[in-house]
Amino acid sequence: MNKPVSRRSLLGKIGAAVAGVLAAPAAKAAKAVVQRVLVTAEAPKGYDPTQHKWVMAIDANRCIGCGFCAEACKKENHVPEGPYFRTWVERYIITKPKPGSSAARGETLVDCPNGGINGYPEAPVPKEDIQHSFFVPKLCNLCQHSPCTQVCPVGATFDAPDGAVLIDPTYCIGCGFCIQACPYGCRFLSPVTKTAEKCTLCYHRITRGLKPACVEVCPTQARIFGDLKHPVPDDPIQQFYQNNLVEALKPHLGTEPRVFYAGIDKEVR
Amino acid sequence: MRRLFKMPPQLFRIFLLAVGIVGAYSVARYFLTPPSFGEYGWYRGAALAELATRDQVYAGKKACEECHSDEYQKLLKHEHKGLACESCHGPGEAHSNDPRKDNIDRSSFAACVRCHEANPSRPKWHKQIVIKNHYSGKCTDCHVPHSPSEVP
Repeated sequence: MNKPVSRRSLLGKIGAAVAGVLAAPAAKAAKAVVQRVLVTAEAPKGYDPTQHKWVMAIDANRCIGCGFCAEACKKENHVPEGPYFRTWVERYIITKPKPGSSAARGETLVDCPNGGINGYPEAPVPKEDIQHSFFVPKLCNLCQHSPCTQVCPVGATFDAPDGAVLIDPTYCIGCGFCIQACPYGCRFLSPVTKTAEKCTLCYHRITRGLKPACVEVCPTQARIFGDLKHPVPDDPIQQFYQNNLVEALKPHLGTEPRVFYAGIDKEVR
Repeated sequence: MRRLFKMPPQLFRIFLLAVGIVGAYSVARYFLTPPSFGEYGWYRGAALAELATRDQVYAGKKACEECHSDEYQKLLKHEHKGLACESCHGPGEAHSNDPRKDNIDRSSFAACVRCHEANPSRPKWHKQIVIKNHYSGKCTDCHVPHSPSEVP
C-alpha cells in the first residue's frame, strides 16, 4: 500500500542528500586546515628514495685512527657535546700472552677516548707487549632486519627504501627502547631534542649527491660509500667486495647488517 | 529503532557507545593522519624530505675545486691525493658561500701530527714518525702538505 509522501518528509530527504554530498568536500577542506597546522614539511622533490640503495663499507686495514670521520660527523650533524656519537673509532689492543701461560693471545683492550675525535694518544701498554693492534670505525650497521625499528612503539623509526635507517623526530617520544635494542650501540638519546638520534648516512648530503661527511674527510679511503642500484665505473664499493674477504659485526644475531667490514679480528663486536 | 534491532535496552546502549567510540576514532584518524603516511611504508613519507633539508657544514671537494683548482690539481699528483681538502682545512661550506680568509682553517699543523705521529695501532704501510725525535720546528719548514714528495 502506497503511503502519500508529505512535502515535509520529501524536503527533509532532499536536504539530507544535499548535506551528504556537501559533507565530503567540507570534510576534506577541514582536514587540509587541520593538517596545515600539524604538518609543516612538503613532499620530497627531485630525489626518489626508491631509486637508490646506499651502503657503506669499512676497510679496517686502511684506518689510521686519525678520527677525522668522528669529528666531521659531530660538526656536520650538530651532535651534542659530550659522549654522544653517530660514528666513532675504536682502538683494539690485543696483548701478548703472559710468558709461561699456554694461551695464544693475551687480553683484549678496547678504548675510545672521546670517540676518537681528538685522535689517539699513546697506547696504554708498552709497544713490546702488544701482539696486535688496530682501529675499527663504527657506525649504524644498516641492518636489513633492524631490531631498533621493530621495537619502536610509535613507528617513529623506519627502514627507508634507499637503505638508510632513519628517525622521524616529530614522532619520536624519546622512550629509548631503540637505544636498548640496537646491538651495536649506534643510537643515543639527545639531551637537546630529547629524542633518539643516530647515523642518517648524512641524509641531507647523499640526497644532494654528496658523500657522507665521514667518507668525505677520510684520508685513507677506509670508509667506502656507494649506491648498489647505480654502480659507477670502477665503483669503489664493488671493488671493495671483490678485493676483500668481508664480514659483518655480530652475524649470529641475524640482523643482516649491510655495512661490511674487511680486516677485523674476531675480538671485534 | 529498538524494534528494528530487537535488542534489550542495556545491550543497545552499549552498542551505541561502541559505535560512538569507533566513530570518534575514525574521525580523529581521518583528520590527524599525515598525508604522506604510507607513501613508502608504515611511516610518514615526508620525514625523509625533512631530514634531507638540513644545511650541510662540509662543502665537498667539488666546491673547493671551483676556486682552488690549481691547488687541487697539485694535490692529485702526490701522495696526499686521497685526502679531501676538508680533512685538514676543516668544514668549508661557510667559506664556499662567502669566501673569506677568516672562515676556513689555514693552519693545519695539528692535522699532520694526528695522522703521522707513530702509534703501534696504525697500519704498517702508513708513514709515521716519532715527533720528538724527528724535528722541533714546523712541519712546513721541510714539507709541503699539498705535495709531500717535493722539497721546498
